Amino acid sequence: MSAETLQVLADVGKGKSTRGVLRVIILALIAGASIASRLFSVILDPWFNFRATKYLVANGFYNFWDWFDDRTWHPLGRVTGGTLYPGLMVTSGAIWHALRALTIPVDIRNVCVLLAPAFSGLTAIAAYLLTNEMTTYNSAGLLAALFMGIAPGYISRSVAGSYDNEAIAIFLLVFTFYLWIKALKQGSMLWGALCALFYGYMVASWGGYAFITCLLPLHAFVLILMGRYSTRLYVSYTTWYALGTLASMQIPFVGFLPVKTSEHMPALGIFGFLQLLAFLDYVRSAIPSRQFQTFLWLFAGGIFVLSLAALVIATSAGVIAPWSGRFYSLWDTGYAKIHIPIIASVSEHQPTAWPAFFFDLNLLIFVFPVGVYLCFQELADEHVFIIVYAVFGSYFAGVMVRLMLTLTPVVCVAGAIAISTILNNYLVAKTPTEEDQQAAEAAEKKGTKSGLKSATKPVVGIYSLWSKSLMVASMAVYLLIFVMHCTWVTSNAYSSPSVVLASRMPDGSQHIIDDYREAYQWLRQNTKEDAKIMSWWDYGYQIGGMADRPTLVDNNTWNNTHIATVGKAMSSREEVSYPIMRQHEVDYVLVVFGGLLGYSGDDINKFLWMVRIAEGIWPDEVSERAFFTPRGEYRVDGEATETMKNSLMYKMSYYNFNNLTLEEAFTSENWIIRIYKVKDLDNVGRDHISAAAFEKGLKKKKATKKRGPRVLRVD
Amino acid sequence: MRWLPAFLTASLAFAGGSLAAKKTSEERFNSFHAKSIASSSAAPIKLSDPSYRELTSQPRDYTAAVVLTAMDSRFNCQLCREFQPEWDLLARSWVKGDKAGESRVLFGTLDFADGREIFMSLGLQTAPVLLLFPPTVGPHAVANPEPLRYDFSNGPQIAEVVHTWIARHLPDRPHPPLTASYVAWPYILPIIQSRNIWAALTLISILLFTSGHMYNHIRKVPYVASDGKGGISYFASGFQSQYGLETQIVAALYGLLSLAGISLAIKVPRIRDAKTQGVAVLAWGGIFYFTYAFLLSVFRGKNPGYPFRLPPFV
Amino acid sequence: MKTSAVFSALLSLLSLASAASSDKGSSKSTLPSTFKPPQVFKNANLVHVISVEKNYVKENINVVVENIDKKAQDEYYLPFTADQISRLGGVEVKDRKDTIAGPFVAENVEFDPESDTQYLRIRLPKPLAPGAQQTLGISYYILKAYSPLPAAIKQEEQQFLTYTFSAYVPSVYTTSKQKTEVKFPSGNIPDYTKIPGSGDIKEFPQKQGSKLTYGPFDEKPAGAYEPIRVRFEFNRPVTHVARLERDIEVSHWGGNVAFEERYTLYHRGANLSSLFNRVKWQQSQYYQQGATHALKELKFPLRVGSVDPYYTDVIGNVSTSRFRSNKREASLEIKPRYPVFGGWKYPFTIGWNSDAKNFLRKTASGGFVLNVPFLEGPKQNEGVEYEQVEVRVILPEGAENVKYVTSIPTQSISSADVEIHKTFLDTIGRTALVIKARNLVDDFRDRELVVSYDYPLSASLRKPFIVFSSTIAFFVAVWLVGNIELKFASAPVSKK
Repeated sequence: MSAETLQVLADVGKGKSTRGVLRVIILALIAGASIASRLFSVILDPWFNFRATKYLVANGFYNFWDWFDDRTWHPLGRVTGGTLYPGLMVTSGAIWHALRALTIPVDIRNVCVLLAPAFSGLTAIAAYLLTNEMTTYNSAGLLAALFMGIAPGYISRSVAGSYDNEAIAIFLLVFTFYLWIKALKQGSMLWGALCALFYGYMVASWGGYAFITCLLPLHAFVLILMGRYSTRLYVSYTTWYALGTLASMQIPFVGFLPVKTSEHMPALGIFGFLQLLAFLDYVRSAIPSRQFQTFLWLFAGGIFVLSLAALVIATSAGVIAPWSGRFYSLWDTGYAKIHIPIIASVSEHQPTAWPAFFFDLNLLIFVFPVGVYLCFQELADEHVFIIVYAVFGSYFAGVMVRLMLTLTPVVCVAGAIAISTILNNYLVAKTPTEEDQQAAEAAEKKGTKSGLKSATKPVVGIYSLWSKSLMVASMAVYLLIFVMHCTWVTSNAYSSPSVVLASRMPDGSQHIIDDYREAYQWLRQNTKEDAKIMSWWDYGYQIGGMADRPTLVDNNTWNNTHIATVGKAMSSREEVSYPIMRQHEVDYVLVVFGGLLGYSGDDINKFLWMVRIAEGIWPDEVSERAFFTPRGEYRVDGEATETMKNSLMYKMSYYNFNNLTLEEAFTSENWIIRIYKVKDLDNVGRDHISAAAFEKGLKKKKATKKRGPRVLRVD
Repeated sequence: MRWLPAFLTASLAFAGGSLAAKKTSEERFNSFHAKSIASSSAAPIKLSDPSYRELTSQPRDYTAAVVLTAMDSRFNCQLCREFQPEWDLLARSWVKGDKAGESRVLFGTLDFADGREIFMSLGLQTAPVLLLFPPTVGPHAVANPEPLRYDFSNGPQIAEVVHTWIARHLPDRPHPPLTASYVAWPYILPIIQSRNIWAALTLISILLFTSGHMYNHIRKVPYVASDGKGGISYFASGFQSQYGLETQIVAALYGLLSLAGISLAIKVPRIRDAKTQGVAVLAWGGIFYFTYAFLLSVFRGKNPGYPFRLPPFV
Repeated sequence: MKTSAVFSALLSLLSLASAASSDKGSSKSTLPSTFKPPQVFKNANLVHVISVEKNYVKENINVVVENIDKKAQDEYYLPFTADQISRLGGVEVKDRKDTIAGPFVAENVEFDPESDTQYLRIRLPKPLAPGAQQTLGISYYILKAYSPLPAAIKQEEQQFLTYTFSAYVPSVYTTSKQKTEVKFPSGNIPDYTKIPGSGDIKEFPQKQGSKLTYGPFDEKPAGAYEPIRVRFEFNRPVTHVARLERDIEVSHWGGNVAFEERYTLYHRGANLSSLFNRVKWQQSQYYQQGATHALKELKFPLRVGSVDPYYTDVIGNVSTSRFRSNKREASLEIKPRYPVFGGWKYPFTIGWNSDAKNFLRKTASGGFVLNVPFLEGPKQNEGVEYEQVEVRVILPEGAENVKYVTSIPTQSISSADVEIHKTFLDTIGRTALVIKARNLVDDFRDRELVVSYDYPLSASLRKPFIVFSSTIAFFVAVWLVGNIELKFASAPVSKK
């Protein structure tokens, strides 16, 4: 196993420089392995980021900043430049330009595809650096780098082609933490400023920057509570906060949020609190009066309570925005489902069941507490950080599957500390002698200052060779299982991008179901340039990118009402849906149907969310209850409710739908994507429903239903 | 007024001290010790010329640690000001941790303003100076009665370092640890400051979260379910679902594994007896192995395609 | 070696060809707009064969021409409509009696772009003496020739195409005797124009299986026109490649020739009358054994030794392709993402690599000769037509003195230039020969393109030198940065 070899190699290279070279080589190999392990598949996803990058590369930075995208959110459009995190696109754009300058004119697409693996290599190195700050064992850093490189929890978001913000954000997260620890340990403004710089980069890259914004103040606060206030803390924190906040405010999407919203308030509060402490500290050193000091501490506490009260008042008065819904739902876990169904409807916002933890981290998930416990042994400032991070990281990961990503670094670091401690104890040739024993005995009488019960006795060492070899061998087996597990998970679960479904044929060969791209390519080639496509928002980015057609809603879920409108159109009867589609100039409707293949990620399975979201806006017109049978079941078969059977979505999915307002335009090979064309008005300007009703001799009785301006198109 | 009695005692003691210089070592210790434990902020004892002489006079059966400092802003002694709170913290924690005076250590501070003569007589040009006067009589007596001088040449010193230094020179005596807080919560404090308790809390919460407790909380999953044959099904089928009991079992497995890991990493190397150690390695290693193997088999139940297993759970 | 013999033969042609290609632009003499071809020839006997078997029209005119002027003549004209001439390509003229002489020069005459009648001029290599006869075999192709009737059909219906032409060959000369034959893909020809017969035949045409014959006719004056329209079953895709970009990149260091072809493909057949229905499609695939007018598959027989093929489109890799490679063949079969019906479009890209040994030779004088197929498109039973073809031969950086020769009819080649193409690790850019051609068909798949160039040693050493020196520069930079970092770390910041 690698850890063994590391140790052996470290023993071979006794010289300092030899070890240094070995470390660099091993680190480079780990980075290489972490890149290689991510190349199982290469399909770009999400396409929106790729599209934005292409726009950036084609039109330059300033145009990108002002980009108004009229091909999404029809007819509203989206101020894209001001509503995205530009870090990812700017990074790949910069790499692209740099490579061109080096006369390597690679396609921007290849830069985008390989960005995540390349950055995962950097993440491994950052994990190495961070771990080295925690412990004196060199093997711990290398192990952490290895874990970080191959842990499935991180691979899941960084395979080749996974071109999302997380691709670079995790590196930035780990590296910012490393710089923070470095700054805190040295009390250095330089490191603090570097930390702020990378924090700014992180803010520009991922909405998850709030994790740093909350974790660093929390760490500082815990240190203060422990009586660990020091000038080092003051210097590093204030440097980071002042510069980091300024940097973050440069991003248009963030703007003044750092001084206006609640999730940024802890950082501001601790900043103020530190000023107060520094002031008191100065006073205390200048006037060494005991009574006065007591008074001052009371004073400091009073100020803290007062400012907290002021914060609460300011929040309730509306000066400071309350917790944003997405963030708040992490604390009040029932909140999202009731108030913001869009957030709750995303599968990666679901809580995490235990198999997911084991799946993503395997061995590390229970070695992780061991490492955290070891941090209590020494309990220096940086160990407090790991402890705080561990508790909060695991809480967040438990609440949301997606946040497994922020937990993974600390698990790797703590796990590496634990495993390297074990290996360092058992992987030494030296056997304790009589003298060691006596020295230990003597030391024990003196007592040590370690506060941990289990660590009160001094270390003696391991006596017998067989226990050493047993432990080392079993650790090697466990680590081997871990590596195999990671490979298996990566190749099986995380390397099939959502747009391609891979299945195994009975003979073991791989069968690729490529329906999504088939349909998108058809749309792209065989419909009008500006044909508007209505679909559920999950497919918005893909349609915008792969099919290059305007969409009504997409994965940037900024306008709930618009999404609810689509939800309403999907969940209502045709008579209601048709005017909605006409109003929004919809040309085609795209649905995902998994019935033929037994594919569970289809629209019928997401349908309840559409209903719920629509119900949130039009409670009178859409009712979730009506989609459940009297027995409270959600049925899509013959026993489905009437409302269900009449809904547009159900008809498009199940019926051989050849009716009045829509006609089938394309169905992909395995029926996963079905595209319907919205029929135009007939020659006299009637829609098909009223025309059919007229022909049947019925009166037009639905005139009252069509309120609002109807956009008539003259073709 | 809490401080009033202490103040009175102190002033009385000073008066007494100057008059009755012939008090025995035992008496001197008792009076100074009483002074320092009188209030939470009485230690270290603020000394003056006469009390300094009394404290350091021989013979003594106690140790005296005295800082000679210059706090007056005239001297602009940055080091003095930085060290003073550390020294106060050290003295207070020590005194608080050793109310009975078993360690037989007294802490004092002599400011230049109060003890100009002493500074002169010692020929001190710099401040601060930390002097440690060893006992000359009694069980801890040392041969050389001269005070040990602490080296400030490395810049300001934090309380921990000085504490270690003092502790090093006081073998065979209790060394009350440093306590960070200035507020005396004699009962809550040990709990709040106990690393063991915090470590336990941290580990328990981590184990809770990583075994899917939040999922139970949000999804309101059933505790157990029937398997349809009258029995109880402990593990929900399917990768995305779980039962309450199931997560508790998993948390227990994780906890057992972590405990084994901690024992192997920390406890076992500290066992002095070779035979006991061998048994411990075997026991914890075995527990780790079998629990892990069992966990893998449980996971395979949840995810039938999972290929890895360890005997005996195949 | 046979190939080397061909090589040397082609080499000897090279100088001539390059000269020809350089002055070709100027040879397109602009004639006055009132130009009429002089009546100096007579078509003594003429057979016109029109083949509509594939999705383009191939016409063959075998004619015995006779000089009726008093002077020797060497310019024979063939008239077309302006619309036809824009779709006309692949013109080849040979002497039927003397096949060794090679193709004659045939080119479009530029005179009045507004005029509806345009001419193709054929230069006879030797002026024809007065009264003498010569047998010409003229063949050419017309693209986008058909229109489907009905224009929109159901998915499972048969597709019918129509083609209109004249019963008498369009000529600027008097034709004494002529006959027009039309060959069809099948005998199912529901409609065709009937005209009164002559001689002992009452009515034209005569139908024999899948062939219609109009004529023989007696003497017709110049410009005689008798429109004939035929409607025939063509239940196969009408594959039309609007644009093909073919890159051939030669790497001396890698010993590799890389091919990449980007197709913009249309189906010009009958549109669907109702939108696509997957159920019917799957049924028809099952019951009719796949007989359909939709394009389902394309087969590319590549040269033996081709490796690493890829097939992508604008969205990414397309997984529906098969590649079989062995000693005898290298066949790439690709399926479009969806069946391509009439009126639909499907652009895609394929590419592959091959060992340079298969295409590149070094000559005795130190230069290099590259011999590659001009066109390597799909080989389909129904044929493939190419409206615009751009072949780009990218030679190594620093290659010079580029000459080419090709057996593609010169009439189809519209331009040939040497350009600069910048790509990986280039400083001055690579030499690229860009040949633009139009109106080609898959009959020209086996035609060669031979390019000769010089590649001096200094140019070949440029790249390794630049890579080496920039790597050194990079390491120096890293070393410098490493030193700076060392200074950061060694400065203790603990001074309070």
